[in-house]
This record gives sequence, structure tokens and C-alpha cells, in this order.
Amino acid sequence: MAIFNLKKREIECKVVYYGPGRGGKTTNLEYIFKTFRKQITGEMVSINTEGDRTLFFDFLPMGLGKIKGCEIKVQLYTVPGQVQYSSTRKLVLRGVDGIVFVADSLAVRRDKNMLSLKDLQANLKEYGLNIFKIPLVLQYNKRDLEEQGIPIMSVEQLDHDLNRQLKVPSFPGSALKGDGIGVALKECMKLTLKSLQKELKWAQ
Amino acid sequence: MGDKENIKRILQEAELYQGQGLLNEARLKYDEASDLVRNNPKIKNKEKILAGLSKKINLLEVDSQKVEKGPSSPELSSKAQDLIQKLFSFSKEESAEEAALEGALALARFGQFERALEEFDKLMANDAHRVVAAKNILRCHIALDSEETAADKYEVWAKGDMFSADQLETIRIFLEQVFENKGLKRKLTVVQAPAEAVVEEKQDEEFIDISAIGIPLESEPGKGKVVEFDVNFQSGNLLSLIISQKDGTLIENLEVDSTFEDLQFYSPIAIFNGSGVVAAKSEIKSGPKQGDFCLDIKITNT
Repeated sequence: MAIFNLKKREIECKVVYYGPGRGGKTTNLEYIFKTFRKQITGEMVSINTEGDRTLFFDFLPMGLGKIKGCEIKVQLYTVPGQVQYSSTRKLVLRGVDGIVFVADSLAVRRDKNMLSLKDLQANLKEYGLNIFKIPLVLQYNKRDLEEQGIPIMSVEQLDHDLNRQLKVPSFPGSALKGDGIGVALKECMKLTLKSLQKELKWAQ
Repeated sequence: MGDKENIKRILQEAELYQGQGLLNEARLKYDEASDLVRNNPKIKNKEKILAGLSKKINLLEVDSQKVEKGPSSPELSSKAQDLIQKLFSFSKEESAEEAALEGALALARFGQFERALEEFDKLMANDAHRVVAAKNILRCHIALDSEETAADKYEVWAKGDMFSADQLETIRIFLEQVFENKGLKRKLTVVQAPAEAVVEEKQDEEFIDISAIGIPLESEPGKGKVVEFDVNFQSGNLLSLIISQKDGTLIENLEVDSTFEDLQFYSPIAIFNGSGVVAAKSEIKSGPKQGDFCLDIKITNT
């Protein structure tokens, strides 16, 4: 749940990058950190373990400037994707305002994508949130691997697997190359701020 | 595609998956390549190729084990610990004390037990959070592999006047349950409640005294009904109920973090509605109430 500081006219909201392990969530944040320097308001914090896997979370604070008279601050988080870190994922998800679900386009990760989306739905439900109502975008990562002849799923296949019912904006991307990163974040922020405007009534 | 090209393609996939940290997927591809090599009579130097693949598979095994056995909760820098405490203090706008508790709980959740202990120690000064802090101090000691320290800590509290007898009973039941779950048989001192001590405690409560609570059941058996339970112990907004084993089925679907939006609270001066969350649920394993259940409900709103 975003924090609305009426006195300072400031809104602080939380966007979480969710998805299966090794799918590119941290790479997304690293790219944002490198590319959107003007909007970055602090250091990126990553807590990794053996093999550069996210152990707890990554954190990146951003400032989007003034929108309709309010200073907008955004905290970007990633969750650890590995199945065993379920309780950490749940904790990081607390108070979430918007989600970028980073799916892995690799054909061999098809089941992991679907399990992770199911896990997201279950964790949101525990906080009384509905996956169909929360601001959410999908990013189909690792599209660049097709050039190397590695079997990846088509966008249609990914849409069918993950977005058939959700019908949320989806973006092909490559976190490594930076393709589709900004556009996914921007769309997520647009949906999040629209939802917060409705909830907090700050721009009416 | 010829056999050689096929094997080459599979190995390229395996190497890419390995590079991406997808160790299981890489392993499957190396296995697939090994099978193709083994079963193809046209391939020369089979033994040498298979030995090379076997070496790659062994290295993958080592990496997999490192990942699996890697530190589940490494000690972080104090800067990272400060950040965890700050980011996960969700109630900082509403209540500094509640936020301090959330921060300490997050540190413990992220395995920063030494630092969490420091924060829980500070919270012991707070009446409303003392019992929760105490339970978490014991939990941290146990996580640090010092069950003896946890037991000693309880015994010190049992001899002191920081807790009422009812509070100590709640803590004792909690700790004995933790020991039992770990297969340890350690009996702790049971403190009897002197009548006047209870009176004093009640006068100190900041929250209104709640004598009973009505819980609407959301699942079978008894779906739709409101069941009433007496409050056995109250610490601020935390209510502890002892539920007899014959009523156990009524609460079997309740889990820690289950929330209620429409609880009924009965106090000597008023009946009012509010919301709450299940803070703890455990079966009492010893003593006169053995087999009964202890349910802690935290009032979140009235």
C-alpha cells in the first residue's frame, strides 16, 4: 500500500519484479539502474548468494518527479525466484502497488513460469489482493536467445500460457540488451499511478 | 540434421543453460547428449567424449550442491541490516512501536538473528509488545543453535517480575512446544499466578479489557456461525485463547496470518466489532491443558 504524505504532497509506492528463478528480474533492475540515472535516487542494493542468485531481494529507489502536484517516489524490488524462498517472496510482496512479472522465454522454463504466476496469485490472495485487479504487466524476457538458435517460446505461446485470462499488457524483452525494460516499467507505473489516483484521490 | 550437428546443438543449449545458472536444465541436456553419443555407432572416440561429458556433469553436480547448501542466511553488513529494518517497517506512518516490531521481525525472518536480538531486547521495554518480543528472543536464540540460552533466558524471566504469571505461562507453553518440535525434552518452571498480581496487571493494561471474543467461522464445520471463546490472557492488543480439544475442529482451518474482518469483542463495558489476525496457533503438549489449543489473535482494528 503506497504511503501518501499529505503534508509533503508526496507518494511513495512499491513495484515488485516477480517471476521464476534465473529469469532476469535482477538484470532488469541493473539495467534500470544504469540507464535511468536521472530518476535513480539511491544505490541499488542486492543481496545475493552462491551463483549470483537473489537471496532476499534487490532494491532500487527512484523518483519520478511531480505528477499532478505530487512528488512520486517509487521503490523497485525483486523477489528471490527459487521455490524454496517462498516466505521471503511473501514478505517482499507486502504492501505492493504494482507488479512486473518477468517470464522466461526459454522453452525449458515453461512450467516454471506458470508455477511462479500461480505462486504470485496465492501470495497476493494472502494479502487480500486479487491478481486480476492489481496493476500488473508481463515481460517475456530473453527474446535475444532466439538468434543463438536456443529454443524459446513464441510470444503467442507465452500469451496463451500466462495471459489468457489476465489480459494485461505484455512486452517481449531482453534484460541483457535492455530491450523492453523501460516500456514495461513505464506501463506498470502508468497502471499503478492510475490505480493510486483512484484509491488516494490525490489528483481529483 | 545429422547426428553430429544434433549433438552439437544439444551441447550448445547445455552450455547456455549452465551459463544462465539453470543447472537442472543443463544437466538434462548433457545427459541427452551422452545418450546420443553412447548409442551412435558412427561416432569415434566415444570413450573420450563420454569422459568429457561426465566431467561436465560432475562439475554441474558440485555447483548444484553449492547452491543447495549455500548459506541460507548470511550475516549482512549493518548497512544492509538497517535497510531491511527500514524497508519492512510497514506501520511507520501509524505507530513507531508497531514499526519497530515489524523491523525486528523482518531482521529475524532474513536470518539476521544477532541484530534482531538487539531490537527485540529494546522492545522488551514496551508493555504491549513484551510477550511477542520475548517469544522472538527465544526463537532467535534457538535459531542460533543455543537452546540452552533460550531455556536459561526463560528461567531468568520466571524468577523476575517483568512478566505476569499468565504471560510466563504463554511463553513457557511456546518454548516447550518449540523444544518438542525439535525433539528436545526440556521441562521449564511453571509459575503459579498469585491473585493480587493479576489485579495489578489488569490495572496496567492500556487496551480495554476483553473477556471474550466471537469468531465468525468461514469454513466447515460450522460455516457462517459465530463461536465465542473466553480470553485467557491479554497483552495489549494480543489476545490468547485456550481452546479445548473438543472444539479443535472449529479452528482446524485457521492458520497463522489468517485474517478476520468481523470479530466481536466482549468487554465488561461494551460489545464492539473489529478485525484481527491469527498471530500464533499451537497445540499444548504438556501440563493440565495437554491436547488443547493455544490461539493468539492480534486485534488490528476496532
